[in-house]
Amino acid sequence: MDHYNPATMPIIEIEQLTKSYRVYQKQEGLMAAIRGLWHREYRDVHAVKSIDLCVEQGEFVAFLGPNGAGKTTTLKLLSGVIYPTSGSARVMGHVPWKRDNDYRRRFALVMGQKNQLWWDLPAQESFRLHQQIYQIDAQQFRNTLDELSDLLSVGQLLGRPVRELSLGERMKMELIAALLHSPDVLFLDEPTIGLDVVAQHNIQQFLKYYQEQRKITILLTSHYMKDIAALCQRVVVITDGAIKFDGSLERIVDDFSGFRVLKLQLAEGQSAEGLERFADVESVELPKVTLRCARSEVTTMLARILEHYAVEDISVEDPPLEEVIAQLYRDSESADVVSTRPHEVHD
Amino acid sequence: MSEFDPSQDTTHQRPGYLSVLAIFGRNSLVRDMMFRTNFLLEAVSGLSWALMNVGFYWIIFEHTTSIGEATGWGKYEFFVFLGTTWIINSIMQTFFMPNLEEFSELIRTGGLDFAMLKPIDTQFLISLRKIHFSSLANLVLGVVLLVLSLNQLAQRSEHPWHIDWIVLVLYAIYVLCGVAILYSLMICLAATSVWLGRNQTLYDFWFYITNFSRYPMEIYATGRGLPLLFVFTFIVPVLVVINVPARLLAQPLTPRAWWEWPLVGFTLIATVAALGVSRWVFQKALLSYRSASS
Repeated sequence: MDHYNPATMPIIEIEQLTKSYRVYQKQEGLMAAIRGLWHREYRDVHAVKSIDLCVEQGEFVAFLGPNGAGKTTTLKLLSGVIYPTSGSARVMGHVPWKRDNDYRRRFALVMGQKNQLWWDLPAQESFRLHQQIYQIDAQQFRNTLDELSDLLSVGQLLGRPVRELSLGERMKMELIAALLHSPDVLFLDEPTIGLDVVAQHNIQQFLKYYQEQRKITILLTSHYMKDIAALCQRVVVITDGAIKFDGSLERIVDDFSGFRVLKLQLAEGQSAEGLERFADVESVELPKVTLRCARSEVTTMLARILEHYAVEDISVEDPPLEEVIAQLYRDSESADVVSTRPHEVHD
Repeated sequence: MSEFDPSQDTTHQRPGYLSVLAIFGRNSLVRDMMFRTNFLLEAVSGLSWALMNVGFYWIIFEHTTSIGEATGWGKYEFFVFLGTTWIINSIMQTFFMPNLEEFSELIRTGGLDFAMLKPIDTQFLISLRKIHFSSLANLVLGVVLLVLSLNQLAQRSEHPWHIDWIVLVLYAIYVLCGVAILYSLMICLAATSVWLGRNQTLYDFWFYITNFSRYPMEIYATGRGLPLLFVFTFIVPVLVVINVPARLLAQPLTPRAWWEWPLVGFTLIATVAALGVSRWVFQKALLSYRSASS
């Protein structure tokens, strides 16, 4: 934490951060289970493999990746809840896993799948506890709570036992609990998981507004592309414990999809037969035909098609984002690092 | 709000442990009042168990006048011992046992994450989160039993009991030492969940050791009992938990057998050592904590 200068240093700096677990390798069957009592086989699971990442103050960064990719593990490392196997990390100049109070007073972690509020009590009782734990001045506490509950429109629910709240309302309360002490850095682990579209949208809107107002730094993991598209300027794709992409959402398509989708509207009476000679045919619903071809060949392809077919309308589109990302997940299992920003990932 | 210059934090505010504890108490009480009947049932069942205990020992003392020969544990001295047992157990049950059992569960489910994020000592937070007020009923009963028994001992033919402030202060100190030793033992045990993945034997273990420490240690002071006496005094010092304060209160300050004052001194050392070891085990456990995935 010494000599941290916010003007020249990134707020989050991760270098070659690695976390491996030794897990007991269970064998199938009863006999194997009995044998396992005295002879256990272990296997190393590499949850996070030598990750490098810098985040500047005020950034809203999304971690994207399939289940088990290491997103949550990374957030837990940055929260100081678990210790790394090797590597280093600094958040606001603090080493997270030292868990000093100065650090813990200035960040928050929200987990969509776990809750920290007292189940049987109204949320405001848990908030009061936070006020004491974080030593929040009474007036400031009042103001912050009013502001947050207004923004999330849960003011009238503060006195209701948490167990009686809907999932969406509970999540809003969890957010309030996390923001009462006005953290400078916020880690959100799937904050909208399991929520309906309206609740998801509300929370997105809130996060967007709050982040713009306060200029805090947020790292978010989510499976919902909508969350990410709505909130984050920067996306970090993690699969299999390593960073596979770091950049804007749009760039993912440019970088990872070598394909374009061609949509043709054929002239009346024109058959689609023989199109497969030029490109992959995705669907034929005359007069509409959808084709797919390598980006570099789009122009030659079009020229040849126009030569042979009567076409009324043409559009060239990027493939859908979800598809690109799903492809990226699949590819990255074998491939190495493909693209990163701002610097190279050592693997 | 965009500032995150650490210099703003150089005040190093100390978390208000007492006010946090007060909120824990308040929240627990609100919750208890929400489930009033449950609260009453818990208190009543605790009390009945204790009363049955007195009845049982009352019957035992119909058959004998003292536990062992010349040990000093007559009927009312033993009831002082019993009262002390309840007081210590009740403090443990009120403040620690439900929390320590939950600690095991927090480790297994990954709920410990939240405790670890708070800018306050994690061990404090998980040890005192919930206060189980209904268990205080037995504390009250223990005090009542103490008063009644001491009143009887005031008529003791040899060294009648009389109020001696030194004795009362020592008693209070050693009751707290006893609680500290039991707490340390339990937190060590609960922390093993980190390595074992699951450890639900906490209450079983609690039952064994409280059962064991519930009798005057002189019982073990012969023949085959000696190894037990040694192990449970010096290695896992559960025998001193109740014996030392109870003996201080029930017996006259002087004369004392040769081993008594050294044992009193040892108990103090054992308390400090137990707290130290449990703190160390707790920290080690946090280092190995894996946090169940969400």
